[in-house]
Amino acid sequence: MTRKHFVFWTLAPATVVLASLALVSIAGAVWFSLMNRTLRSPDYEFVGAYNYLRLLRDSRFFNALQISAIWEIVTVTGTLALAIVLAVLVHETVKSPLRRNLICFAFLAPVLLPRVAAAFIWRFLYSPSLGLLNYLAGLLGLGPIEFLADPSIALLSVAVVDIWQWGLFFTVILVKLLETLPKDPIEAAMLDNASLWQIHAYVTLPMLKAPLISLVLVKAVESLRSFDLIFVMTGGGPGKATETLDLYAYQSGINLGGRVSYASAMSILLLIVTTIAFTIIWRAGKKWAG
Amino acid sequence: MANISCSSITKAYGTHTVIEGLDLSIPDHEFVVFLGPSGCGKSTMLRMIAGLEEVTSGNVVIDGTDVTHLAPGARGVAMVFQSYALYPHMTVAENITFGVRRQGVPKPEIARRLKDVAQLLGLEPFLERRPKNLSGGQQQRVAMARAMIKTPKVFLFDEPLSNLDAKLREKLRTEIRKMHLALKTTTIFVTHDQLEAMTIADRIVLMRAGQIEQQGTPDEIFDRPATRFVADFIGSPTMNFLPASIERMGEALTAAAGPIHISLPPERFSGLKTGQQVELGLRPARMDLAPEGSANLLEGRVVLIENMGSEGQVIADVHGTEMSFVTKDFRSVRPGDRVRFAIRPEHVHVFDRASGRSLLNDGL
Ligand SMILES: Nc1ncnc2c1ncn2[C@@H]1O[C@H](COP(=O)(O)OP(=O)(O)O)[C@@H](O)[C@H]1O
Ligand SMILES: [Mg+2]
Repeated sequence: MTRKHFVFWTLAPATVVLASLALVSIAGAVWFSLMNRTLRSPDYEFVGAYNYLRLLRDSRFFNALQISAIWEIVTVTGTLALAIVLAVLVHETVKSPLRRNLICFAFLAPVLLPRVAAAFIWRFLYSPSLGLLNYLAGLLGLGPIEFLADPSIALLSVAVVDIWQWGLFFTVILVKLLETLPKDPIEAAMLDNASLWQIHAYVTLPMLKAPLISLVLVKAVESLRSFDLIFVMTGGGPGKATETLDLYAYQSGINLGGRVSYASAMSILLLIVTTIAFTIIWRAGKKWAG
Repeated sequence: MANISCSSITKAYGTHTVIEGLDLSIPDHEFVVFLGPSGCGKSTMLRMIAGLEEVTSGNVVIDGTDVTHLAPGARGVAMVFQSYALYPHMTVAENITFGVRRQGVPKPEIARRLKDVAQLLGLEPFLERRPKNLSGGQQQRVAMARAMIKTPKVFLFDEPLSNLDAKLREKLRTEIRKMHLALKTTTIFVTHDQLEAMTIADRIVLMRAGQIEQQGTPDEIFDRPATRFVADFIGSPTMNFLPASIERMGEALTAAAGPIHISLPPERFSGLKTGQQVELGLRPARMDLAPEGSANLLEGRVVLIENMGSEGQVIADVHGTEMSFVTKDFRSVRPGDRVRFAIRPEHVHVFDRASGRSLLNDGL
């Protein structure tokens, strides 16, 4: 058996299962989206593009689209920024391998927590009356701050939890990546009179461009799937301040209206939008990495 | 341009001492080569002068300033690495100018200097390329340009030619030498290749296990090795060594190794006594075919002939010991032939058998 055959036959079963599962559910969603099914009544009929046309006039849909976009941008940039700053800090200040590994281990802990558990921990930390954060704010003469009930900061407060989980995880990855870099160009930069932050900005991080782009993509995909975190922390509220597309789809499809067909149309649109967006980002990233 | 002085430098990694109490002073404008077998501490020494490695104790002074605790960038040195150490994501021009941009040299001045060094090193066609699209020799030229553009007080080279093929190595060696003739910047060049050291150095500092074994001009090192180690390390083909014992009869001084008798000039070795156990050092390049009846004649059977083009190395079995000599006339002998060859008495080196130190009179 050639190597090519071997790869084909080992991957085939899993690919078939995954592809059929994905295709069946996508096909099902497309099928539903062309009806006017609801959970309340068993009757339905074929309505063509009606659901899609209605979506384009639905301001709540566009609000959710906007919230989703903001969520993506804030969590992806926040995660990467935190990871880069912390990784450089750890790389430069913690030289003993044992201590470095202990720190990495501690940084891995948050991402190992189930989302729902992390959400509950932070809901407690954020609590206006009992929460640690408001206690600290009180010591400074601030607050109480309504982290989750104030529409202007609720989305950011939830994003902090996401960044806490993933930023620390990515820090560990970056610390390990920094260790793999060749020493010589860094020493050359030291002799070239570059300061510490210049060495990282101009030499080490550019050398890590390709893995950094991969991390951005991984996090962007992951951020699309934050339903559980947002649902537990705010349920989309206050008002519609944290209602991303998946929350709105859930609300209209399952929770309130039970308008399954409408929600299906929304998921299909979401699928198309994200596929296009990621293709563009992927292309741009590859071009930039040269 | 500056002189360098290192006093009682010690370097230890944990309990493992790599350099011990090393003193060295390098005058302005000199081209010094650190030579020695790999692992003897050449790079460590160079990196301590550059500031990339902390000294465990001792001082480094460059141009009258104690730089022992200064950052590498503040010492006014430029270094060229064996691995080239270019910044992979920057173009050649960005690589070369990175250091001067950090120093805040004005833009027009940077452009002017870039043009100069690029022209000098033939890099003009490549300025917009990335390092990975250059050959090894071109990459090392970029590294040299990056060092030159800073007009440093001192150039440091750590085996810069070791990753290049023989022809290119020779070419770049000449270029480095020319660059030094033009700029006269004090230079330290590390290598384990004795031929490279001989051809390029004003002065060779020969190191062994973290200490200086001998320093001097290439001629001094070649003609008057202070120890057997130096004699063995320098010169290609390698020196022949022959254990012998001294016999002094009146004015005549001879070293006997079994049936072989080598006469020595008494005025060069006035300290030798009868019965003293020594080791003779006979350079292949100083020996040649000789007719019967010549002084210091050695006789043996040819084992192997190595053709080196204009001359050849003949390896012969002399009473059970393999010895080699170099001759232009190598085409007249065949393996299995009996050959006679000889060395002039003034070219024989004599080392103490126990300590390995040269027994040549002081001042010669
Ligand atoms: N970071 C280090 N930790 C421990 N030992 C080292 C380190 N760097 C070099 N050494 C040791 O120091 C000695 C000298 O090394 P080096 O200066 O690189 O030798 P050279 O350049 O002459 O080949 C070697 O025995 C090497 O094993
Ligand atoms: Mg070395």
